[in-house]
Amino acid sequence: MALRKDANTLTSSERRELVNAILQLKADGIYDRFVLRHANANMMSIHRCPAFLPWHRRYLWDLEQELQRVSGNPNLGIPYWNWPSGAENASMWNDDLLGGNGNTQGIVTSGPFRQGQWQVVNSSGVASGPLRRQFGQGTSRNLPTVAELEQLLQTTPFDSSPWNMRSEPSFRNRLEGWLSNSGPAYHNLGHVWVGGSMLPMTSPNDPVFFMHHCMVDKLWHEWQLRLPNQSYQPLSGAPFGQNQNDPMSNTPAASIGRRPADVLDSTAIGIEYDQLLPGTPNPTPTPEPLRGTPLTIDTGPITAQISRPGEHDLYRIVVPRFAEYVIETSGNSDTFMTLFGPNSTLNEITRNDDGGVNLNSKITLNLSAGTYYADIRLYSSAAIGEYAISVTSAAEETSTPQLTVDAPATSAAISVRNESDIYRFNVTRRAYHTIETTGPTDTYLSLFGPNDETLLIQEDDDSGSVYNSRIRRILSVGEYYARVRHYSSAATGSYAISVSRR
Amino acid sequence: MSSRQLTYKNHTIVIENGHLFIDQKEIEYELDHERQKWSSWYLPYTQYDSLGELAKAIIVDTDEFNA
Repeated sequence: MALRKDANTLTSSERRELVNAILQLKADGIYDRFVLRHANANMMSIHRCPAFLPWHRRYLWDLEQELQRVSGNPNLGIPYWNWPSGAENASMWNDDLLGGNGNTQGIVTSGPFRQGQWQVVNSSGVASGPLRRQFGQGTSRNLPTVAELEQLLQTTPFDSSPWNMRSEPSFRNRLEGWLSNSGPAYHNLGHVWVGGSMLPMTSPNDPVFFMHHCMVDKLWHEWQLRLPNQSYQPLSGAPFGQNQNDPMSNTPAASIGRRPADVLDSTAIGIEYDQLLPGTPNPTPTPEPLRGTPLTIDTGPITAQISRPGEHDLYRIVVPRFAEYVIETSGNSDTFMTLFGPNSTLNEITRNDDGGVNLNSKITLNLSAGTYYADIRLYSSAAIGEYAISVTSAAEETSTPQLTVDAPATSAAISVRNESDIYRFNVTRRAYHTIETTGPTDTYLSLFGPNDETLLIQEDDDSGSVYNSRIRRILSVGEYYARVRHYSSAATGSYAISVSRR
Repeated sequence: MSSRQLTYKNHTIVIENGHLFIDQKEIEYELDHERQKWSSWYLPYTQYDSLGELAKAIIVDTDEFNA
């Protein structure tokens, strides 16, 4: 559980622990990888779009895991920049935490991230000078007040078409800062108010970035608690990467998934805030664990019946780890299944009518750890009938296929929608390596490693021939993993993949 | 064919047929037609009243051009 506190209230030892953890990640090169993950994302995939909030929630969660690892404190949370009490004189800007404003040239000269102690990197990862801040120089607006936060939290729905900076009404777009005619630009204002290194896509160079986005994330969390009948939008219809069940851009595999659906519940992914605004109800740790009939994974089907026209049966499925699961009915009834979760019977993930055998329903999906709910009814609201339901996990992982450097290409296919193929290969000496696909399919390639299946190095869409993907870079000795999917979550197709040293 | 060139803080800005170049590097940008504002991947949190203003801000505020 990560406990996120108001940055101004951290004790001296808490400040020291956080600063030391950040400096350790910087020394290890991990902090700069976070900067590049943000800087090299497609801007329109993580800003000015619905995924803006879930993408940054997952991004903060990932950094928090690293901070907890290097500090040895499993409860270390990123503190939040409490805007209403976070102006220039706030204690978070003291030299034992963030250091203060820049000098007349904008250069930060005090605190742990001062000139000489901390170098920012450009979007190529090259060190490019000291951290810069120019408080309030780029805007005449003050930071948001509590009253303005309250005003924001009344905005509904979550988002709306056209799913960009012109969406209105839209909680996401107002919080992001593109609807500032009638109030502050909230998120955008924070970046502009700090100025300097917080202005470009490399803005995570300034550690206050994470505290700023922690405040953004806290406000989304509070909005969700206040308005439990509102949910993430869209389920479908927006560009790939924006819909609730699409994998998000520049987001590596981890113990929680890559989709907006995987991060909708802050409590379920181990986040706790020290305080909420008056009027925000406290989260219920396990919202509805006892609803529904338990349905255990891999223990065979259980039989049931819809005995009255219009009846619904609800099943509760506890998913222990991220994997692919199949939920399906069998029998002679024409069933219809709707899947909700994680940890909510309100948040619909997907639905299916006849994906199974005959007229049975079947849902095959990668699910993160959490509690899910399968609602079963008959397609006809006038019908009654028996059925059986089961949930199975994908077969135990077979060994990941191995690619050999400079060997002929391996043929494969994305045979079902949303499928990913994973390959591993060994690099025996440091050199340029090219990983590429060929064939008629619009592939999307992600490279992970060395020696860590979750450590994303680079992603590529169309650098290869036609719509094929291709990554060429220097790789050090170690084991690497290449993940291939179709660019479209709805499409399938054949391809070949190879690794060569050139 | 419209073309405009200026020098700003030792960097060359060229606006040619709707394309923006800084030191010969083409800069992708987005025009918000409704608000008549320009923005770019380089500076994701702000919009500007003209392409020229956007170019000057990129020169001043990004590590690629202000290192």
